[in-house]
Amino acid sequence: MSEKNFIYLHPTPVRLWHWLNALGIVTLCATGIQIRFPDVLNIFGSYRAAIVLHNTAGLVVAISFSLWFFYYTLGARTISKIYIPVSSDLKRGLLRQAFFYFFLYFFGCDNPHHPTPDSKFNPLQKSAYLAIMFVLMPLISLTGILLMNVSPLRELVLMAGGLKILVGLHFLLACSLGAFLFTHVYLTTLGHTPLAHTKSMWTGWEEAEDHGGEAEAAHHGNPVPESAMARVKVTP
Amino acid sequence: MKVMMFLLLALVACELGTGRTASSSPGYSYGDQTGKNGACLSCHADTAKVKGTRYIDPAKYAHTNHSRIGCLACHDEVTGGHGGSGRTTGKTSCVVCHGDINVEYSRSSHAGNATCNGCHNPHRVNSPNEISGQDMNRMCSSCHDIYSVSASHGKWLPQADLHITMLPCITCHTGSKNYVINLYIVKRSTEERSGKFDLASHGELRKLAEGRDIISLIDTNGDGYVSLAELRNFNRNPQYKDLHLYGMMIPEQVTHSFQILDNRRDCTFCHASGPGAMQTSIIAVPEANGTFRKVAVEKGAVLDALYATPHFYMMGGTRNSTLNKIGLVILAGGLVMPVGHGFLRFLTRKIRKEREDRHE
Repeated sequence: MSEKNFIYLHPTPVRLWHWLNALGIVTLCATGIQIRFPDVLNIFGSYRAAIVLHNTAGLVVAISFSLWFFYYTLGARTISKIYIPVSSDLKRGLLRQAFFYFFLYFFGCDNPHHPTPDSKFNPLQKSAYLAIMFVLMPLISLTGILLMNVSPLRELVLMAGGLKILVGLHFLLACSLGAFLFTHVYLTTLGHTPLAHTKSMWTGWEEAEDHGGEAEAAHHGNPVPESAMARVKVTP
Repeated sequence: MKVMMFLLLALVACELGTGRTASSSPGYSYGDQTGKNGACLSCHADTAKVKGTRYIDPAKYAHTNHSRIGCLACHDEVTGGHGGSGRTTGKTSCVVCHGDINVEYSRSSHAGNATCNGCHNPHRVNSPNEISGQDMNRMCSSCHDIYSVSASHGKWLPQADLHITMLPCITCHTGSKNYVINLYIVKRSTEERSGKFDLASHGELRKLAEGRDIISLIDTNGDGYVSLAELRNFNRNPQYKDLHLYGMMIPEQVTHSFQILDNRRDCTFCHASGPGAMQTSIIAVPEANGTFRKVAVEKGAVLDALYATPHFYMMGGTRNSTLNKIGLVILAGGLVMPVGHGFLRFLTRKIRKEREDRHE
């Protein structure tokens, strides 16, 4: 019998937000494809159904995004720690992490980043999520809200340069989000087991790697609080 | 055989000469009678002598086909003693000339709700090609209150207000098969930044064009044809920031077959027509007499990615193929990591397994 260390990485509000977002974004992608290519694809029975579902999912994701933002900025107050890369991330972290993913990983080397509640993301993740959560998501939500309300918000539509600019931007941002989804889902399979990261997002507890995780995390300036640690006896 | 051919050709020539359809048979000569209308208009174009509906705007009347067949063609009971007698003159029925339209209208769900005069004033009526989509809707809204129309459509139609302002009612409520995107020049109604956009008048645009033909604002090379490059230049020109091209989807053939068509409730009737059906558009230029002249536009204007028609977009129908390709490249970029990394991961799986076993 051996022991495994677990870290409480994803608090309940974050997990709820993540899965709500996941459902919403997948719905938005599927309905969006039908809305843009109705003569090619009909998934939801009717065009109107696709539009109503797209608008509903869009509102849910936009509201959920706002809740996430307020939770991290006003509630947990960890948004800058988690999402903003520090200078060491930019100077060394990005390269080190990229070198791991594209070279060392294939030889079974350890991930140089060990997540803690306050430092969940490696430098590459931080940079990607910074662009996604602070640029892509607000822009795609804003363009979507304008496109949903063309008549009442006509002045804002005109200020943005017209419908074509908004539609083009909304579509290309959606493609970028779709591209991110492919990469995101693939990267979740790079844990101890292919489903380890997915399980952790479901339960909140992430298995710490067996190399003195606490000490390692502390070494990187991210000590794990006792309340976020658990040891579980497992039968091999 | 030759005699038969001659008779056939003679018959066709007669029909073309009169410009009438076979179904209308009033028995009047279509020779221009305009010059004989003066006696009537000497009173009926003078507000001091006649009031209300008896007044006829001479400029608008002169533009109608009715003026060319002459007042007496319809008001054949008028005698020399009519002037000042106070007697109401009789008038002929529209059916006498427009029998084919009457047959079509009688079969429509609108028959019984209004007579011809309920929608059309014969003294100022223009052909469908000469009026704007807004004019068409104005005729409908004289009976159909815009708020109740918006409310009833809003029960099933997303963004009902937007559809109602961008489509003439007859686009959905008649059985036309083909449609053309008419681009109207609209202008901010006030100097304020948030002023409403309304159809620009002939006078306003003529002033902007400094007395030249209005279309020269867009058709800069004066060839009577608006290219995509000219459209883009017009829309990006800061000098015209308060002018827009406002697109409306107008039936190619206007009919009187008013009805509620179930297939129009299916959004894909318009929104799935795809780029192939959205190639044709025209610019409707306002004329001094209140009508519109149509100027041809290069094919594919409403499908342009950004600047040819920046304010006209019909989901599904006017998607731009270049943007589609860029989107596809972005999506393919997202697959580089799963496919490329996944492939190398598969090839190196044994190396990792051995290392894992050593650690255990």
